[in-house]
Amino acid sequence: MNINATLIAQAVVMIVFVAICWRYIYPPILSVMKEREKRITDGLEAAKKADDSLEEAKLAFDKELNQAKAEAAEILDKANARASQIVTDASSKAEAEAEKILTSASTTIENETNKAKEELRQQMSDIIIDTTQKILGDEISKEKHEEILKKAAEEL
Amino acid sequence: MASELTTESYISHHLTNLTCGKTPDGWTCDPYKVDQMGFWAFHVDSLFWSIGLGALFVFVFRKAISKNSDASVAPSGLQNFVEMSIEFVEDNVQSLFGSVKNTLIAPLALTVFVWILLMNLMDLVPVDFLPVLAGHIAYAIAGDAVEWIKGPESLYFKVVPTTDPNITLGMAFGIFILTIYYSITVKGLKAFIAELTLHPFGKYMIPINFVLEMVNFIAKPISLGLRLFGNLYAGEMIFILIALMLFFSSIPIGVLGFGLHLVWALFHILIVALQAFIFMALTIAYLAMAHETEEH
Repeated sequence: MNINATLIAQAVVMIVFVAICWRYIYPPILSVMKEREKRITDGLEAAKKADDSLEEAKLAFDKELNQAKAEAAEILDKANARASQIVTDASSKAEAEAEKILTSASTTIENETNKAKEELRQQMSDIIIDTTQKILGDEISKEKHEEILKKAAEEL
Repeated sequence: MASELTTESYISHHLTNLTCGKTPDGWTCDPYKVDQMGFWAFHVDSLFWSIGLGALFVFVFRKAISKNSDASVAPSGLQNFVEMSIEFVEDNVQSLFGSVKNTLIAPLALTVFVWILLMNLMDLVPVDFLPVLAGHIAYAIAGDAVEWIKGPESLYFKVVPTTDPNITLGMAFGIFILTIYYSITVKGLKAFIAELTLHPFGKYMIPINFVLEMVNFIAKPISLGLRLFGNLYAGEMIFILIALMLFFSSIPIGVLGFGLHLVWALFHILIVALQAFIFMALTIAYLAMAHETEEH
């Protein structure tokens, strides 16, 4: 436990180790730590920014979505209205057509009926004249008894 | 030689350094010639562990740098440990040193802290393990060639460098020199001398002032070195005494000694770290004082 030259040797050794640490160990580690710290700070800031922009994007998205929904509803309303319009139009048109067809059909039927009646009347008068001629001989002719025939046809 | 082992010889064996120095007959490490060596002798064991552990510190921290070089990769393992110690030192330097710009202080504090911590930790290695190992190695290698090595027990080998006052005072001395250097370069020689001579009684009492201030000035490194030495020496002493309970007593006392050993080792971990921290904090504080221009 004497004090001897070990003391001086230790002081020298200490100066050497401190110098090594000062020159080669401390600065590189500290600079990397500082750089990493800066990176982390930057990263956190960027994350915050990204968060904010995400929030913004969400708001914008919601807005767009609502707008789109409103538009869709409007389009749907329009389409419904148009569809019912078309249905109404179509049914009224169909009704009109049906009416028209019905009218023309009844007209045709009436015409046909009249025509048939006329024909019948004609044939009837022909048959009557024929028969009368045969019965009475040539005393009666179409030309002579025009008047009578006409009267008879009208009575039929 | 084991039969000659007594309590006294066991304790003195553990408290004596392996000393090499110059005697009239030439260089020797013979423990019986230490008295002839005078001042120019070296405690080889203390210096061996001191340099070895300092080299370990440099090696471990250099290794961390090679992994550390990319700031974009997250640190892990050893690197975390290294960065944690650097952050710890930076915090302490910040709080004690404030705004003063000096790039040496933090590396100095880091070196002092880690180095002393490692040296103190040697105290937790079982007291007999390394001395006996070293004795056997020395006897096996040089037993025939060196006349003073008569058996494995004839080699003294202290393992904890901080229980050697030369080591602790040596470091305090290095810091003392730095304190003087910064006092002169930062304050200027004139202000430094004025600080030592013009307080506390004014310029008409310069000799008294000087004596008082010198005591104050020199007490700092001495107390710094002796505090560390005293704490660790006492701790080592208690380990030795507890170890004696195992060897020279009955079985119940041996068992008690085993339990005490465990308790003291656990408690000693606190002392080990605390003393390293105190040495570092005072180093920073003394150097901060050297930078203060006007303190009165």
